[in-house]
Amino acid sequence: MNTDLNMKVNVLPVYTYNFLRVNDSTLDASDITIDSVESPVPAAVPQGVSLKSGVSFDEAGEVFRANKDKILVSTGVPGEPNGDTSARDNEQAVRTGMGVDVDKLFISTGAKCDVYTVEEGTVVKEPIVLRFDMKNGNGRLASQVIHAKKNSEITVIMDYTSEDDKEAAGFLGVSTRVLAEEGARVILVKTQMLGNGYLHFDDLGGACYEKGAIRLVTLELGAQKVWTGSYMNLTAKEADFTSDVAYLSREDHHMDINFVADHRGKKTNALMQFKGVLMDEAQKTLRFTIDFKNGSAGSVGDEQEDVLLLGDDVINRTMPIILCQEEDMDGRHGATIGQLGEDLLFYMQTRGIDEEEAKRIMVKARLDSVARLIPDEALAQRAQHYIQNII
Amino acid sequence: MSDNKQIVADIDRSLYDFKDVESEKDFYRMAEGLTRETVLKVSEEKNDPEWMRDFRLKCLELYEEIKMPNWGPSIEGLDMDRISSYVRHKSDMKGKWEDVPEDIKNTFEKLGIPQAERESLAGVGAQYDSELVYHNVKDEVAAQGVIYTDLESALHGEYADMIKEHFMKLVPPTDHKFAALHGAVWSGGSFVYVPKGVKVDIPLQSYFRLNAAGAGQFEHTLIIVDEGADLHFIEGCSAPKYNVANLHAGCVELFVGKGARLRYSTIENWSKNMYNLNTKRAVVEENGIMEWVSGSFGSHTSYLYPMTILKGDNSKMEFTGITFAGKGQNLDTGAKVVHIGERTSSVISTKSISKDGGIGTYRSSVTIQKTAKKAKASVSCDSLMLDSISRADTVPAMDIRTNDADVGHEAKIGRISDEAIFYLMSRGISEEDAKAMIVSGFANPVSKELPLEYAVEMNNLIKLEMSGH
Amino acid sequence: MSEQSLLQVKDLSVSIDNELPILHNINLDIKPGETHVLMGPNGAGKSTLGFTLMGNPHYNVTEGSITFDGQDITAASSDKRAKAGMFLSFQNPYEVPGISLSSFIRNAYHAQTGAPVKLLAFQKSLKAAMEILSMDESYADRDLNVGFSGGEKKKAEILQLLMLNPKFAILDETDSGLDVDAVRTVSKGIEEYQKKKDGALLIITHSTKILESLHVDYTHVLVKGNIVHTGDGSLVDEINANGFERFV
Repeated sequence: MNTDLNMKVNVLPVYTYNFLRVNDSTLDASDITIDSVESPVPAAVPQGVSLKSGVSFDEAGEVFRANKDKILVSTGVPGEPNGDTSARDNEQAVRTGMGVDVDKLFISTGAKCDVYTVEEGTVVKEPIVLRFDMKNGNGRLASQVIHAKKNSEITVIMDYTSEDDKEAAGFLGVSTRVLAEEGARVILVKTQMLGNGYLHFDDLGGACYEKGAIRLVTLELGAQKVWTGSYMNLTAKEADFTSDVAYLSREDHHMDINFVADHRGKKTNALMQFKGVLMDEAQKTLRFTIDFKNGSAGSVGDEQEDVLLLGDDVINRTMPIILCQEEDMDGRHGATIGQLGEDLLFYMQTRGIDEEEAKRIMVKARLDSVARLIPDEALAQRAQHYIQNII
Repeated sequence: MSDNKQIVADIDRSLYDFKDVESEKDFYRMAEGLTRETVLKVSEEKNDPEWMRDFRLKCLELYEEIKMPNWGPSIEGLDMDRISSYVRHKSDMKGKWEDVPEDIKNTFEKLGIPQAERESLAGVGAQYDSELVYHNVKDEVAAQGVIYTDLESALHGEYADMIKEHFMKLVPPTDHKFAALHGAVWSGGSFVYVPKGVKVDIPLQSYFRLNAAGAGQFEHTLIIVDEGADLHFIEGCSAPKYNVANLHAGCVELFVGKGARLRYSTIENWSKNMYNLNTKRAVVEENGIMEWVSGSFGSHTSYLYPMTILKGDNSKMEFTGITFAGKGQNLDTGAKVVHIGERTSSVISTKSISKDGGIGTYRSSVTIQKTAKKAKASVSCDSLMLDSISRADTVPAMDIRTNDADVGHEAKIGRISDEAIFYLMSRGISEEDAKAMIVSGFANPVSKELPLEYAVEMNNLIKLEMSGH
Repeated sequence: MSEQSLLQVKDLSVSIDNELPILHNINLDIKPGETHVLMGPNGAGKSTLGFTLMGNPHYNVTEGSITFDGQDITAASSDKRAKAGMFLSFQNPYEVPGISLSSFIRNAYHAQTGAPVKLLAFQKSLKAAMEILSMDESYADRDLNVGFSGGEKKKAEILQLLMLNPKFAILDETDSGLDVDAVRTVSKGIEEYQKKKDGALLIITHSTKILESLHVDYTHVLVKGNIVHTGDGSLVDEINANGFERFV
């Protein structure tokens, strides 16, 4: 099947000045070939986990829709922030970072969803690995729901790769929706090493109940144009979202990111860290938002970005937003954008390391710090190797 | 000196909130609403040169075309059909307070303007509703060649060409809807020219008082600080509270020459029925320095983001701001900066306080263009939430287009901890005073940038807000 | 004896945030001019007692009463207690950016006395007090406790004690984290306070360094929220030699 894409995605939770052109991003491409609308399946499904394949996208969202009251715990006091855009994504089963247009694409193309359910109390140590082998000319839409019931634990790794074909072109769109029930823990690892001609989007939405936790580790290294988003509902006491994202963007590549942590429960915690490297003429837009809703007393939100700018023609846009309607919270963000610090460079030079080598070391250090978090040794090595090759 | 600022005097709300009834006999008031006729009428009243009349009409067309912003606070409560865009006293502008009509003079006496002029200012302009009623500059400052006059006189005098060359060039009417509105009905405001190398040691001040209910104030401030010159300009604003909406859509254009320095300080205390849709912008040449100190306390709704264009190499800007959003207020404030020249630097540092259901939004943009090699930008914004029915939102943006730049950004949001209050109370300070003291301390980095009497005024305003009047 | 009591604590039980009680049935009677020492192992509830006496809202009195200078202050807010003449030297004094140490003390003095502060006289006595404590004068203009070392924070607390001159002061672990010289300086400040006629003290400590040069009238041993023993000043030396074992 061939299709045109014309989607408005990664809408900022609150609009700001239009001249910046960061309020949203347009994902458009004409005549995209899609040769698969299914998600790859793991070699084996562990004990205590059930996999239901081929569910319609809409039906797979039922677990969220049925629990809407629990996920969107009402907050005591009305009052939207200025320029609020939340109404746009209300029809989603669960809000995602990229938003409703992704849902519409999956529904209109009849793409299927794989639903993984982890039974109560089941702790699966061995990761489930979904390998997306994307060759030159492939086009794929894939979607998953991961439902971790009370006190269960699961690790899912999604490996998007074009293997040795660095110049492969194609399309891969993924939607992952995650529910971590009371005390459950979901570790989601996404590594993206697609060919240089790939158009890629990766959308994430989820909810954590009391003491539920979602841990995200993402490494974005390849593809020409990348859109990624994440929207996490921290619905009840001590729900936790921790994410580490590292990206490398080079040549004329584009990267567009939208992350939101929605604090509703008490003592919820969100930590979003981004480490990036921009080379050549790469362009990147990062929007990340901590939203302390009324009632999220005792919550902590922290968003940090550290970007190394290495190309003369890079464009870096960063929008670190904090929304707050709760007195008792602790919110902070920080961004450091620039070249290698002169002091650090000087220090390295006194140890006999020249500037180029120093840059290589620092790029590798940034990306490796996240690659090291991948709980699959072979994949971690492959990622490190990929990084080494580029620099 | 810093000690004195912390001793907070008792507050008298009537300081700002008194009303002076404007009689029909003494005042001319334009009919409400905005049409081609009203714009032509303003133009005629002001005896505009032809280019200005045409400019106003073009601006009106733009106003009608440009959409309302989709991102800021709601301005639904503002109905232009109920705003009179021009109100003036029937007497002319004076150069001596004795000659200013009694009722208006009383207003400014109550606000302490003539006293401040005697004690600590190089010159004063006082605007009442749509027109300046008083303008004076000290002889020794005038002798240095400093021009400080109302914009209308300047339009017809020897600086007419300079005005034409600069007027709404920095803030074009296409910028946004209310810039276009301003272009159509602007009235009053000041023109300042500081010649090359002249350093004005004591500040000039303009005070804007909007006394008429249901009126708009659209003053235009144009300041040119020539090469190597130095000026501190202070802007104060207040209005009594009415039950109908008032509108302030002023425009400030600042030109800072090579190696010149301009400090622009504002304590804004419009009444809480005011829609404050103000545009301020500065362009800075090589080695020039622009400093903003901005306190936003009043208004029902504010859109205020002073913008600085660092055009010349090595030019610098510093923005220090504080916003206090109390009951019924939606204050959307911040700053914008564009780095164009090499080795330009900007520092934005803001404090925001939200209380009693107030909405405080810090909004900013830092743009570093490809040409701005070795630019440095640093932003730090702190917010303080005083309860859980208010909002404190932080919406910054950075757009960096050179790798040879150094950009840092920090934001924190928090509250007054119970431990801090207990600590102060254990020394005998009441809970209310303990909170006010912590908030004053939080605001201190801003108040210490202000001249003493303004710092005292700011602390008074904080105390007033903290006590919930 | 109760007629001349300055602080009287009767059958006091305390809990934090309505959880299980931390202090049980505490009784204390402190007269003007007396110095009491409260000792006990870590976690015994010593600081809790200090906070409760001063009225920290996190600590709830579940039973009993506190009377100060003839008034029942069990439910009074901390500022009322301070105005009545009580003082607490904090173990971890709070940092308050934007308010200088000297202007804070002036504000507090004004709040307690209601009298206008005479600037010159104030500055003179502040300078004298800072000299006793070997504090550099520049600290007066620095923001309250912001960036102070542990030692300087404690000195700033004792400086407030000397300037505010309360009837009764609780010193909570004022010696903890200080080197020998700093302890000596702080002790000097406390002696200075003791010299004042009728000034009473409750010194909370788990070590004895600070007590070496001070006169002590009574020593109380607090273990697991109970005062298990009360003796005279010599008890300090005994605990110094043998520790708390015999009370635990």
